[in-house]
Amino acid sequence: MKNRASSHLLALLLIFGFQVAGYYAVYRAALLRGFEPTLVGAVRDLLLYVPVFVFLFWLSRRMKFQGNWVLYTTAVLLFSLGALVQYRLYSDPEYNSRNKAEARAEKTQVLRQRFVNQFYGPDKKQFMGFAADPAQSQAQLTPQIARRSNITATSAFTSLYTWIPIVAFFAMACAYWACTRDGFLDWVQRHSFIVVLATLVPLGAAVATSSAGKALGNMTPWEPSKIPFLLGFAGILTAYYRDLAKTYWGLPRAQAIVPLLVMALIPFLPFFVLQDFGQMLVFSGAYATLYLVAVRRWPQLLVFVGSVVLVIGVLVAGSLPPSVQEKVPLLPALSRPVQAALPARIKQRFHLWLDGFDPPSPDTAWWKKDYEDALSRDARMKELAEQSPAMQKTVNVDVWFDRIAFQPSQATFGIASGGTTGRGLGLGFAEVIPVADSDYIYAAIGEELGLVGGAVVILALIVFVAAGVRTAIDARDMFTKLCSAGLTAFIGFQALVNIGGITRALPMTGITLPFVSHGGFSLITSFAMLGMLLAFSHRNARDAQAARPPERFRSVAAPAGGSITIPEAVE
Amino acid sequence: MFLLQAVPEMQPARLSLIYTAGLALMILWLGLGLVRGMRRRRSALSSVAPADMPAEVRQRLGATSTNRGLYALRWLFVVLALAVFGFHVYWARYAPETNDRFQELSYKDLRNRRLAESTLRGWILDRTGKLENAIALYKRQPDGKIEREYPLDREMAQLLGSERGDAGLERALFGASSQAVPEAIDVALGHDIKLPANLDVQLTISGELQKTAVEQLKDRHGAVVVLNPQTGEVLAMYSNPSYTIEEVQDEASWIKLNANERDRPLVNRALRAYYIPGSTFKTVVSIAAFISGIEGTQFTCSGAGFYAAQGSPPIFDSGGAGEVHGRVAIDRAYEVSCNQYFAQMALQLGPERLKQAAQLLGIGTYDDPADTTRGRRRPDIWNVSAPSLARALAPAEAAIVTNPKIRRYDLALEGFGQGYAGQMTTIQMAMVAATVANLEGKLMKPKLELNQPPAVFNQVLRPEQAAQMRRIMGLVTQGPEGTATSVFAGTVTSQGITSGGKTGTAEKEVPVYDPKTGEPKTVKRYERDRRGNIIREYEEIVIDREKKRIDSWFLCIAPLEYPQLAIAVIVEGGGYGAKAAAPIAAALVLKSRELGLLGQAGHPAGQPGQPAGQPQRPQPRRQPTPKPAAKPNQRIAARQ
Repeated sequence: MKNRASSHLLALLLIFGFQVAGYYAVYRAALLRGFEPTLVGAVRDLLLYVPVFVFLFWLSRRMKFQGNWVLYTTAVLLFSLGALVQYRLYSDPEYNSRNKAEARAEKTQVLRQRFVNQFYGPDKKQFMGFAADPAQSQAQLTPQIARRSNITATSAFTSLYTWIPIVAFFAMACAYWACTRDGFLDWVQRHSFIVVLATLVPLGAAVATSSAGKALGNMTPWEPSKIPFLLGFAGILTAYYRDLAKTYWGLPRAQAIVPLLVMALIPFLPFFVLQDFGQMLVFSGAYATLYLVAVRRWPQLLVFVGSVVLVIGVLVAGSLPPSVQEKVPLLPALSRPVQAALPARIKQRFHLWLDGFDPPSPDTAWWKKDYEDALSRDARMKELAEQSPAMQKTVNVDVWFDRIAFQPSQATFGIASGGTTGRGLGLGFAEVIPVADSDYIYAAIGEELGLVGGAVVILALIVFVAAGVRTAIDARDMFTKLCSAGLTAFIGFQALVNIGGITRALPMTGITLPFVSHGGFSLITSFAMLGMLLAFSHRNARDAQAARPPERFRSVAAPAGGSITIPEAVE
Repeated sequence: MFLLQAVPEMQPARLSLIYTAGLALMILWLGLGLVRGMRRRRSALSSVAPADMPAEVRQRLGATSTNRGLYALRWLFVVLALAVFGFHVYWARYAPETNDRFQELSYKDLRNRRLAESTLRGWILDRTGKLENAIALYKRQPDGKIEREYPLDREMAQLLGSERGDAGLERALFGASSQAVPEAIDVALGHDIKLPANLDVQLTISGELQKTAVEQLKDRHGAVVVLNPQTGEVLAMYSNPSYTIEEVQDEASWIKLNANERDRPLVNRALRAYYIPGSTFKTVVSIAAFISGIEGTQFTCSGAGFYAAQGSPPIFDSGGAGEVHGRVAIDRAYEVSCNQYFAQMALQLGPERLKQAAQLLGIGTYDDPADTTRGRRRPDIWNVSAPSLARALAPAEAAIVTNPKIRRYDLALEGFGQGYAGQMTTIQMAMVAATVANLEGKLMKPKLELNQPPAVFNQVLRPEQAAQMRRIMGLVTQGPEGTATSVFAGTVTSQGITSGGKTGTAEKEVPVYDPKTGEPKTVKRYERDRRGNIIREYEEIVIDREKKRIDSWFLCIAPLEYPQLAIAVIVEGGGYGAKAAAPIAAALVLKSRELGLLGQAGHPAGQPGQPAGQPQRPQPRRQPTPKPAAKPNQRIAARQ
């Protein structure tokens, strides 16, 4: 594929075609299950491709885009996959209904009638209690469409699901436009610390008024703060990275290190208060990437990588299940302080990750409250649990799987039931996973599209990250280089942390899958980041075409004591 | 059987495959474009640096280039992404087969319940194949809904299994993990679609016989296994106490059942409970003696008891020192159930020959006594169409200790079913009886599906040896001194049915239960260090050593000339073998005759021919003589 707008227009048209086929599959599968999915919703989703194509033409015609189109097409591909799976989930009356049991029972009877009609001979039908006459039994067994969608064009037009992607595309265009301006980048670079501090004000207000990392329903309004934080850190690092290489007794000067540390710690504070450890993980990944790019001395790199590995190792070793800890000497001694230091929520996530199929004992501090809460709601279970230790054990398993372990275990069962090619769109049971449209969308993909669907997501991420890293490699100045690397790392690591959480490779953290998940601010932020990456990619191509040393920014690949001079940036 | 109609799911399945494949191709196309584009790039340095830069400067600049970290990042990401995807592969492909905990917890998978609700499972029919005798079926309810019903609920619950708890026929044949639910590709290509709605299964179980077994075991803990020794068909299998399907579906009552340590209703005693076999194990030793060709050996049974080794306690018969048989041969020893004879026979055989016989019978043999109690599962004994079924109903492995260095006293105890032979299952003993009852001396694999062709587990005995063993077993129910003669005389024998059997009695130490709560009584014990400080506190279950539970066993084969039944009965706390278990077996034999399960041979002269349903059975007289080649035991015999 050539890096031309026309080739990628073709690619997007093909994706659109497949998307139409996918929506039709969902529609047909839903009819077989006795409910009619919303047609308005499907049309709305497909109309969202209008801004996709508009943006393509705007980029190529208006902005004379010369950068890497792969970034854009890959992101649209991921977005399409997510939109389809979300449509499948939302069209299922069981998924978003208040009375799930009733919706399920309706589906059940329709399916049973269909199967009886299709497969059973007259003798069996009669034995079951249907009319002996074939025509009569046929009438008794014709399935009725139990539920029709009540979404109208007006409700679709006013829905957030319509507007969030549009806002996201608009944010992408704005970010692109801003980042192609030299003046904007220059200003951000010079005022990076102020940018970060200014971001902290609304963020702090949001943190103060929210609970459990969520505000405004299921929204996370601090998602967009990733971008200013990244710009700030990249700015500081650009200013100091050369000083890091000047070491005294193997250490860089304090004046070079302190600003970096301060910058690195600032975003962790609000997320620690919010107990949003997924974001902290993603931030660590992105900042580590920037440091990895900027640092020049092997010892510094080794110390950095070593300390990260050590911290992760201690946390994991301390959280291993008790059955493992008994076998390894010294491990209990290590785990006691770790267990004491970790917040309850992290302990819970670690337990789910390392020992998720077995509940903790009801005495465990972080589980006790939930356990007792569950028992206080169900008097029958409470009575049973009090009868004997054996019963308590059984009750504990049940409560565990009905509460904390419910979502992750249903996701794992879903992935397992998907197998290689999946159950087919609309033919699986992805609707039993709670909130499968945002955090757990990969589980829904794994169930309905199987390993192949998962491979598409993983490959798309690899392609996206490769293109993003290529953008960073080609960058001429340190600031855009760090920014591109950081943006790529944000998107890539966030995706890995999300997928790893679902496949139990990592602890589950409750962050979204970029471009795929439904999630307001997350989607907007991802597309804004994409716009920035596209802009940087465009700059690189323009600079390479100019075939002359860039004169806009202060630094280039710096000669370490070289004798030749490279033109300094013109202010 | 499987109607290959076009399923309506085919269209969405195909479209969804097209969608996935299309996106996969698109991303490969994009990836290839990216890789090709990379190769043509110049290095960043060459576009920045002046063209006339000296070579060594260029090299140094390259080495300190910031891109080093970015290349590392790219590969790091690829590796991490593939690692994460590796976990997906594990869950999707390997966990359902290999992860035990995952399988155990599959009842927590809501999809199982959804599948049970939203598709139709096949009907489960008993061996008559009639709809009115169906074991699991669908009925239209008064409100018009179609619901699954189980007419033989408590009777079959152990075998049927449920969404919660142990998997049984229902989940193994029609569950989410079985082959019955296809992936998109199978639906799309239309091949191998076994929609569960098509999969009616006809079992070998006879509903009526099963009901008889339930009646007979009423109010008693125990199990019954009835096999057809010629084909391996399981005619009845029941474990009491049982439960209803409704009870296990309801969470609260299931928790109660699961925690009931005293009655343990969820344990299928026919497959997974260990019992001390007592005298019934003498059948295994006899088979070993026949295989080794030393069945003619005579031993003395004296009033002074038998001393297996110097200093070991004497071995007496059940009558104590008063029971003296003198010098006896195997048939009389078996008839009167002489412990001393079989203790000496076991010593004569030695652990090696006992091991060979046990392995032929499907009994596990271990060197370490601790290994026998691990409760390994033996799915391989089943003759089934789907491995999931064998896994779901896999019996616990019956096991004995055959260490070559075993103490003589322990080996002697094993000879009459005590000591290390104490890990037998009901189905295993039924299989032992079935081996003797098989006309060719073969052990047939038990099977539950009627359409499954018979399969041989092992050729254990030569046909004439099996015939001799049958004669010896016949002495127990028909001989003058047989331990079960009195029970069978008035019932089975008087009806003109010839039979054979073996009684067994075993004492088992059991915990003391609190009559109020049903919990086992415990006492606190302390582990102390040398100075007497308490290191650990633990609770030990109190075991009443005075009042042991006496389990009652009976093995039965009938009719003797052409056996159609091999029965194993265990009654916990039933007392002496002939007292509790033998009448149950007798009742089962009589009921089988009524149902026409005994074939022609079971009918008294004058009754007309064979009942319908089993025309394919070969007649005893026309039984072909087995080929000498198929005799694994000859090799053993020749070595003597």
